[in-house]
Amino acid sequence: MPTHMETLDNGLKVVLRPIPDTKALSTWVVYRIGSRNEVPGMTGSTHWVEHMLFKGGGKLAKGDIDKIISRLGGKMNAFTDTDYTMYFETIPASAMDTALMIESERMRNAAFDPKEVEAERTVVISEREGAENQPEFAVEEELWGLAFHVHPYHWTPIGYKQDLANLDREPLYRHYLRYYAPNNASLILVGGFDPAVAMQHIREAFSPLRPEAPPDPLRLSEPEQRGERRSDLVRPGPADLFSVGWHIPAASHEDTPALIVLATILGGWRGLIPFAAGDWHSRSNRLYRALVETKLATDVGVRLEVKIDPSLLIASATLASGASLDRVESVLDREVDKLRRTLPARTEMERAKQQLRSWARYEQDGVTFQGILLGAGEGLSSWDFGERLVAQAEKVRPDRVRDVARKYLVEEHRSVVRFHAQESPA
Amino acid sequence: MNLPDRTVLGNGAVLVSSSLSSNPFVAFRGSIPAGVAAEGDAHGVAEFTSRLLLSGTRRLGAAKLADRLEGIGATLEFRNGEELLSFTGRCTRDTTRETMRILVECLGQPTFPAREIERVRGELRNDLRIEADDTRHRATRELARLVFPKDHPYGRDPKGGEERVRRIKRRDIVAFHDARVGPEGMIVAITGDVDRTLVEEAIADPLSRLEAEGDGVPAIPPPPAHKPRRVTIPMPHKAQADIAIGGPAVSRRHEDYYALDLANLLFGRIGLYGRLGRNLRDEQGLAYYAFSGLDARTAGGMWALSAGVNPAKLVKATQSIRAELDRLRTDPFSSEEIRDGKDNQIGSLIVSLERNAEVAAELHRMEYYGLGMGFLERYADIVRELRDDRIREVATKYFTPEGSSMVVAGPVGRARPSL
Repeated sequence: MPTHMETLDNGLKVVLRPIPDTKALSTWVVYRIGSRNEVPGMTGSTHWVEHMLFKGGGKLAKGDIDKIISRLGGKMNAFTDTDYTMYFETIPASAMDTALMIESERMRNAAFDPKEVEAERTVVISEREGAENQPEFAVEEELWGLAFHVHPYHWTPIGYKQDLANLDREPLYRHYLRYYAPNNASLILVGGFDPAVAMQHIREAFSPLRPEAPPDPLRLSEPEQRGERRSDLVRPGPADLFSVGWHIPAASHEDTPALIVLATILGGWRGLIPFAAGDWHSRSNRLYRALVETKLATDVGVRLEVKIDPSLLIASATLASGASLDRVESVLDREVDKLRRTLPARTEMERAKQQLRSWARYEQDGVTFQGILLGAGEGLSSWDFGERLVAQAEKVRPDRVRDVARKYLVEEHRSVVRFHAQESPA
Repeated sequence: MNLPDRTVLGNGAVLVSSSLSSNPFVAFRGSIPAGVAAEGDAHGVAEFTSRLLLSGTRRLGAAKLADRLEGIGATLEFRNGEELLSFTGRCTRDTTRETMRILVECLGQPTFPAREIERVRGELRNDLRIEADDTRHRATRELARLVFPKDHPYGRDPKGGEERVRRIKRRDIVAFHDARVGPEGMIVAITGDVDRTLVEEAIADPLSRLEAEGDGVPAIPPPPAHKPRRVTIPMPHKAQADIAIGGPAVSRRHEDYYALDLANLLFGRIGLYGRLGRNLRDEQGLAYYAFSGLDARTAGGMWALSAGVNPAKLVKATQSIRAELDRLRTDPFSSEEIRDGKDNQIGSLIVSLERNAEVAAELHRMEYYGLGMGFLERYADIVRELRDDRIREVATKYFTPEGSSMVVAGPVGRARPSL
């Protein structure tokens, strides 16, 4: 789809995708700041900052963003990832200036009223406690902590509860001032607008904003893992869970397209940003056949965590009642071993590529989903990251899938978390 | 959105379609009145059946079915609800005919293999265990049971419970399918990259092959009277407690529906969860989520609010909820609040119909509740004409502490929160 790019003098990158005959407009701003930019003691600060940016500042009083978007019948939200943070509004296209005003105020003028910072402390702790209610969260947090000892992927974006309890307003505000600047952000518009008119309005709203010194590159890199790491969690829960993560290279690495095909063959594909997939799960993949059809598990999943820095390919399973973790692990090992030893069949390769092609379309469902795809692409490298990846995956041959399986799906580079569900106390 | 096309097929199925050319694929949402309300005393059989519809047909086994669908990049899902067996899917223009053909096979010629029945039985039992360990699920499920008592289809667990899941046999599933799953009462809404030719050739043609042999569309009984109760479900191993409060509301076609929908928006939805969210989250930081919902169905409805809170703040949170319910009388919605709510509902016509999935769901709703194909054109006027005093009146009529049940699930300790 036709997409225009331009960079303002202050460094703000602008990505415009006009869609004729569309009455809605989705405005996204992605900041290249995530939990990977945090340090121990300040975990969760990026996510907390995200919450503070709905509380006014500059031309906007507390509650204004909510009120303005609500009156327009719009939707809005924000997401904090390990690598980036995104904010969006989807509104009638005629209200473009409103979205631009909100985002330009948010970029430099957030208030961080000390009373509001304090009120939000318990909200983010509550968000974490809600996640803690789910055993899957414990497994996820344990897995990343196990696989990364040096790199900030060690913790998840929500942060540790003790940090959330102790953080003060000042470091949060400094974090905001340091990273929320036009030269560390991209603005994305998708929907019904004229690009020339939009650019004029964008310049008026954003050109006056001052850039900051570019953020220092992250110098931490995870040393090579030497030997498998394992953790057994014994806690109350309804079902045993199994999760394994193998180290994979950064998103920009030449092996990423082959790893995507591999992940699809092993566990199916649900899109690059699986919002569009909803509850849909593939049933034609190898793990479903090996674990669900055989009644060892009731649910399986494979996620290729595509990130700026080397990350993980994660396979997970919810065990069926009576199935053993040892058995599930050995079946999964067998399937991974097959990938390492044997070339995938032609039909399997074609089915995997067809899924990638189809999801590339399904993820274009409306202006909001297109905005999130372009935004996530900008957060990782460039707006067209997803399109390029799918195009590269088309060229992947069976031997490349086998090669990346041999290279990355190895025991000494993996971390395993097993959740042993204990009967819940009454 | 243009006025949707509506076609009634010879077997009774209704097709509703509208093009959304900016979204480059075809999406559909359909239903058959074969949900919980259609299963009678055979509790759990509708859910069991819905989970088996992708488990093999006369032509294709479960694995081949998955290979075929995913080989053409299509998605197809079945879901059981209180009233309906629903199905949703996505495909490209080129693969629409094949996807519809597979849908028709799944609905009309499922084989219910014994091996798949046992797999689904295990899945259901695991789901029951997982849901029993989920504070939010426990609270909302128990609230629905209290509001719709005596095993009413809106109140009981669609899975039927552990005992029923163990006992359901293949012949129960086959009997339910034969009696209830057919074209009678079937609705299919289609949107995206569609036009009249595609609807006729790739969609209407295969769907016409579904044969009507069932027992007709079952009536849904009116819900029994609700007696408000307070229930606590101790789950000491959890970090957070979930509160669910609610009571009976109205059916979708009830005269109070639009006023109540707006009142609910203002109370617990608009922006960051309306008045409720402003108090509990924004001002007091008591909860990450605190919102309300209105579920209006064919034979009745329910209004409910949910909040997830730290156990130490349970009493404060319930007191704050009570204060907001009382405020509906002492400080009714202002004219400005009501104007904001109306602007939101009218403006959202553009924003809430930008995706194929959203358009298909709206088309389906219009047909299912008999709102007419011109409903979206009338909607803004319906909202504009709502009188302020009517909105305030329905808020105090339905959102009452005395008329509500309350359930708290989680690490409640010695706290005895009351409303």
